[in-house]
Amino acid sequence: MKERNGKRRVAVAPVDEFPPGARLEIKVGNRSIAVFNVKGEYFAIFGLCPHQSAPLSRGRLQGTVVCNEHTNWEKEWAHDGEVLVCPGHAMEFDLRTGKAFGYGMKLRTYDVIVEDDWVTVIL
Amino acid sequence: MANSKDSIDVKRVEAAFNPVQDQDLDIYGEELKKYTIVDVDVHVDDTLQNMLPYMDGHFGKRLEAVLAADFMGEPHNSLRNMIAHVSWLGAAYDKHPRAKLATKEDLLERMEYGIIDYSILFPSELLPIGYLPDPKWAAALASAYNEYMVDAYSNVAGVKLAIVVSPKSVEHAVSEIEKHASNDDVVTVSIPDVGVNPPLGDEKYWPIYEAAEACNLPVSLHGIEALIHDNYPLRVSHFPTLMQVHSMGFPFTSMLQVMSVVCEGVPVRYPNLKFCVMEAGITWVPFIMHRLDTAYRQYRTELPALEAQPSEYISKWYWGTHELEKLPKKGDLSKLLDLYQGHNTTMWASDWPHLERDLIAGLMYYDLDDDVRAKILGKNAIDFYGFTT
Repeated sequence: MKERNGKRRVAVAPVDEFPPGARLEIKVGNRSIAVFNVKGEYFAIFGLCPHQSAPLSRGRLQGTVVCNEHTNWEKEWAHDGEVLVCPGHAMEFDLRTGKAFGYGMKLRTYDVIVEDDWVTVIL
Repeated sequence: MANSKDSIDVKRVEAAFNPVQDQDLDIYGEELKKYTIVDVDVHVDDTLQNMLPYMDGHFGKRLEAVLAADFMGEPHNSLRNMIAHVSWLGAAYDKHPRAKLATKEDLLERMEYGIIDYSILFPSELLPIGYLPDPKWAAALASAYNEYMVDAYSNVAGVKLAIVVSPKSVEHAVSEIEKHASNDDVVTVSIPDVGVNPPLGDEKYWPIYEAAEACNLPVSLHGIEALIHDNYPLRVSHFPTLMQVHSMGFPFTSMLQVMSVVCEGVPVRYPNLKFCVMEAGITWVPFIMHRLDTAYRQYRTELPALEAQPSEYISKWYWGTHELEKLPKKGDLSKLLDLYQGHNTTMWASDWPHLERDLIAGLMYYDLDDDVRAKILGKNAIDFYGFTT
């Protein structure tokens, strides 16, 4: 673990060993973080569901149904591939923001960079 | 903020296409080791093909015909699927991972993990038995289920069984209770609470209660979503989403059956018979107790058999926690227990491995006195089922 500008950097995998579609469950001390490679874009999000602590690293990535003024209150399929579905009881989280669909809560997300050819999570 | 001395563990994982099971035990494992834990609602693979060897004659032929049906690509798992989610199929956009049927090996693996000390097995496939219209067919299926489960799961360390009876076949139900009561691993009589008309307090069912009391077997009312359109006691065809059917179907059905059993005087007639309700959550328990008490003041003459307010009888019932509602504050469960006097009657239930199963973290979220937590996790169940540890 490195530290720069007061933020800690955790190198989690060499880039060539973390291809699109792969995911990692990392623990830093007691903190769980789920890391995903979605079509070449990296995401990291708090790793335990706030409902009953199921591991979000094991969740499926898919879309969800939205219905709001932007859709004229019609149901539409949206966010395809970027909705993390808890493998416990299927709560849904926006992988980009951590926002839980349909709840006033947001999970912490973490920046992910590539540094020295390693995928690195900034805590 | 992570400390630079924090340990780092990186693990490659795959998406779970079945619901994850019990991984929260890794989080609470150490804390849980001091408790005797009884999971009072566990399901294993009891699909109908397992019962074929136990069904003779025309019932066997009928079951063969059922098994030949390939429904939803799931041959041999037809009864629940045909009755169950058809009307709302896909309404949740297949968001949920598919339910996994637990094999005997899955169950043993879970037990060997060393956290869950006892599992009480309830039917899955035969939960809808209450609404099978042919009483003899329902009775034949119940017999086959009971024989199969006793053969497959008796004498397995830590495993106890519920036998199932069909309330439409009262004489047969009594004979099933008497047949299996001497088996120490049979600890309760499971009666479906959906599709049972008239409701379970009716005099027609009293021989079942008499037999259960005489055999010292408590009665468990296990719910299922009221999934058939016109299914008694709740009509659900007017709800367009499974969420609405699921969330209210269980507790409302259970409430109506609890009301019936109590108001018809069953607890007075069979004072040593214990009852519990499975799979309906618990937040409604104070509601029905005090709602009935309020009406009792005005209508007591309709219920002359009762010697006390309804709540006094209901307070002696036991309750499986699943699906345990998540209340806003960690102290709320303790307040809820106060409201229905549930410290000695609430039993942790997971519904493992079904889709909606509760992880134990759902209970551990709440602040509870240690002795109360120990009761809910195991002691109350041991009292209710009466087995020796």
